[in-house]
Amino acid sequence: MSRRGSSVAHEVAGLPEGILGHHFSSLARQNEAMRLGMWLFLATEILLFGGLFCGYAVYRFQFQLAFAECSRHLNLTAGTVNTLVLITSSLTVALAIHFARTNRQRAAVICLVLTILFALGFLGIKAIEYTEHFHERALPGKYYAFEAVKVPGSAMFYSLYFLMTGLHGLHVVIGMSVLAWILWRTVQGRYSSKYYTGLELGGLYWHLVDLIWIFLYPLLYLI
Amino acid sequence: MSESGPSGRAGVALHPGDLHEEHELSAIWYIAVWIALVFFTFLTWFTGKQHLGTWALFIALAIACTKSVLVALIFMHLKDSSGMTRLVFVTSLVFVALLLFFTVADVATRFRPATPAGAPFGTERSQPEGLLEHEMPE
Repeated sequence: MSRRGSSVAHEVAGLPEGILGHHFSSLARQNEAMRLGMWLFLATEILLFGGLFCGYAVYRFQFQLAFAECSRHLNLTAGTVNTLVLITSSLTVALAIHFARTNRQRAAVICLVLTILFALGFLGIKAIEYTEHFHERALPGKYYAFEAVKVPGSAMFYSLYFLMTGLHGLHVVIGMSVLAWILWRTVQGRYSSKYYTGLELGGLYWHLVDLIWIFLYPLLYLI
Repeated sequence: MSESGPSGRAGVALHPGDLHEEHELSAIWYIAVWIALVFFTFLTWFTGKQHLGTWALFIALAIACTKSVLVALIFMHLKDSSGMTRLVFVTSLVFVALLLFFTVADVATRFRPATPAGAPFGTERSQPEGLLEHEMPE
C-alpha cells in the first residue's frame, strides 16, 4: 500500500490538482480507461449515424433517379469547401494535441482557436446552403415544393439530407463547445507532456465529426 | 492484457517519464496526412463530376474509406492505440456493415408491389415520359 501510494504521489507530482481519480492505481491506467471509454462512446455515435446511412442506402436504392437529380441541385462548391474546412480543422486539432504533448502550450492554444474558427466557418457555409434550400422550398417530406425536381422520391432525398446534415451540424456545435472548454483549460496550462488525455479525447470527438462528413460529402453531393 | 501493452502505457508502476514514452509522431506526419486528404477530396470531387454511372458510388466510397483510414490511424492515433481500443472501433464498423448488408439485401429482393409508390429499381424503368431531357442534363 505504501509503495503504491508513493508511486502515485511520484506520478502526480507537478500535475494540476484532481487529475488522478482515487480509484485508479496509476495515471497510465486512468488514461487507458479514459481512451477506451471515449472510443466506446464514439462507437455508439458511429451506430447512430449508421442507422441514417442505412436509411439512405434503402431509399437511394429505391429512388436512384430522384437522388441523382436532387444531388445535382445541391451547392457542390459549398460542399467541397466545407469538406476542406473540416479536414483542415482536423489537422489543427491534431496539431494542438501534438503541441500540448511537446509542452508548446502557446502553439496548442493557437491551433485550438483556429479549429473553433473553422467550425464556425463550416456552420456559416451550411447556413447559407440551408437558406438556399428554404428559398427554393427544397424541404423535407410534405413541405417539399422544389420546382426544379419533380421526380418521385425527391422529397425523401431532402428528408434524409436535412436529417443527416442536421445531426452532423448538431455534432459540430457540440464539438465546438467541447473544444472551447478544452481551449480554456489549455490556456490555464492544464495540458502538458505529463497529462493531455482530456485534450486528446476532445480531439477524438472532433475527428469523428470529420469522419462522418467524409462519407456525407460524396453520398449527398456527388452521386 | 493491459499490463503488457506494447508501449508500456498501461503498466502499473511507472516513472513520470515512462508514461509518455509512446512515441509521438513528428508534426510532418500530420501535415502529410492533411495533404493526402486534400488530394483525395479533389480526386473524389473530380471523379464525382464525371458522373461515371455504376462505378461512381464504388469510387466515391473507396476514396471516402481511404480518407477515413488516414484520419483514424494518424489523426486519431489508432496506429499506436491498444488492441482493446481498436477492437471497439472495428466492432462498431462490423455492426454497421451487418445492418447495411441485410437491409439492402432485403430491399433488393422484394417484388415490385412491395416497394413504395413510384419506386422502381434501376434507372431504365423509372423515367416517366416527358422528364427525359430534364433528367439528363449532360
